[in-house]
Amino acid sequence: MAAKFLDKIEIPSDRFEMRLSGSGGQGMIFASVVLSKAIGMVGSKKVVQSQSYGPEARGGASKADVVVSDNEIFYPKAMNLDLLLAMTQEALDKYYPDLKKGGTLIIDSTLIDDVPTDDYYALEFTRIAREEVGHIMVANVVALGAIVAITDFVSKERLVEVVLEHAPRGTEDKNRKAVEIGFNEALKLKK
Amino acid sequence: MARILMKGNEAIAEAAIRAGAEGYFCYPITPQSEVAEYLAKRMPEVGGVFLQGESEVAVGNMLFGAASTGKRVFTTSSSPGISLMQEAISYIAGAHLPVVFVNIMRAGPGLGGILPAQSDYFQSVKGGGHGDYRLLVLAPSTVQEAVDLMMLAFDLADKYLNPVMVIGDGLIGQMMEAVEFPDSDPKQNRVNLEERKWAATGAKGRDPVIIKSLFLDPLELEENSLLMDKKYEQMKKEEVRYELYKVSAKNELLVVSYGTVARICQTVIDELESEGVSVGLFRPITLFPFPEKEIYREAKKKNIKTVLTVEMSTGQMVEDVERAIIGAKPVKFFGRTGGIVPNPEEIQGKVLELIGSMKKRSTSSRKRK
Repeated sequence: MAAKFLDKIEIPSDRFEMRLSGSGGQGMIFASVVLSKAIGMVGSKKVVQSQSYGPEARGGASKADVVVSDNEIFYPKAMNLDLLLAMTQEALDKYYPDLKKGGTLIIDSTLIDDVPTDDYYALEFTRIAREEVGHIMVANVVALGAIVAITDFVSKERLVEVVLEHAPRGTEDKNRKAVEIGFNEALKLKK
Repeated sequence: MARILMKGNEAIAEAAIRAGAEGYFCYPITPQSEVAEYLAKRMPEVGGVFLQGESEVAVGNMLFGAASTGKRVFTTSSSPGISLMQEAISYIAGAHLPVVFVNIMRAGPGLGGILPAQSDYFQSVKGGGHGDYRLLVLAPSTVQEAVDLMMLAFDLADKYLNPVMVIGDGLIGQMMEAVEFPDSDPKQNRVNLEERKWAATGAKGRDPVIIKSLFLDPLELEENSLLMDKKYEQMKKEEVRYELYKVSAKNELLVVSYGTVARICQTVIDELESEGVSVGLFRPITLFPFPEKEIYREAKKKNIKTVLTVEMSTGQMVEDVERAIIGAKPVKFFGRTGGIVPNPEEIQGKVLELIGSMKKRSTSSRKRK
């Protein structure tokens, strides 16, 4: 398995759809809220975050969608993904068909070995969280660091600010480190 | 105030606090339980009452009692829960009390499902309870509008001394968007009980106030119903609200849609515009009073050949649209139900199918000439 090195991705101004997916407990909804706040509460971008609820949200694959636009967002859900983060094989298998042609795929290569394309970013979010940051819980924050590096929607500092607003007290250092490593590792993948 | 990212349910809860609500009675039900979760913490902060009842039936009657004291009170629930409150809603309307109800609709009938729907239109607009009463019904399509309409709902309930129903679907409750709240001290918006002569605030130095919906003398009961009817006529004159999107003389088709579905239609209209097809959207914000004259005015424009009503139901508002248009143009319907949110493609397909058949018809009629 070899992930390609990609150019900086194009962000269309009218509508950019992201899906953060994994399994229940990996913090995908938390990550989507942080990402939406980081992007949408400063500057001029509009955001809508939506997630599955009820039985769809219990166990198995979990997802949250974030739509970003310069204009008002009408259809609130994601339909053709510009970016898909998959933290598990199940989530990748389930949501890869929703990724638009040429869309950006980011996978956690700790937990995924079978990728249906050669065009993706692979980072070991879970391994990095466990071994380099010291807690598996922050794998989602490592992934957020990578998404911000790849999309350039907001600065790393802005992301840290919002992550720390939401993180439980006493976890600040780990979260800061998680963003830092995720961001830097993703930059290494860029040309 | 700064923009904040909020889930629809939380935003609705905070808007009620800002509107000066002092009492919230509830029974949890998906997809709106976050309102209760939020208010369990927030209500005590502003010195209000948060009370989870033993059932929706109890909650409805708690509201009846609490509203009688003159304070701003409300509840939120979802379809089956709102059904259980219908008896109390009828009593509250008959007793001329201001209560705000919020229905974050899920798919019915019966226990149905928990995903978004708009299948409680009839229940809200035509009256789910018994008797000659109407509810003033408001339908937001964004989280910000849910905030704005919640604040308006309390004012309108007070203005008419009539219950107001805010209906959104599960998606409005569950999605997060940026919202702004007016800078106001929640306590400033609280009602001044001294001005509320109708409220049961104690009879010291005055005659007792009797709040009831029981009138055994038919003349008295008729008088009460006529008084209510007068309020509904006034609502029709003063409270009609709606929004137009890309409505112009070039429109070939007019879409009528409310709530979340209206914004999906906006996506469709933008897409069609880029393909050179001109379609306009009429979005009722008040479902009662229904913008009848206004829909008629738009629908009878020369270029419009068909009116398409789009709903997350098997077709409920479509009857009011037909009534508004009184045969001036054909009214078609497209809907998904059972908890399915229609995607832009399928709505677009329906619009193109209708426009296509219109074109065929006009070509063949030219041939005949």
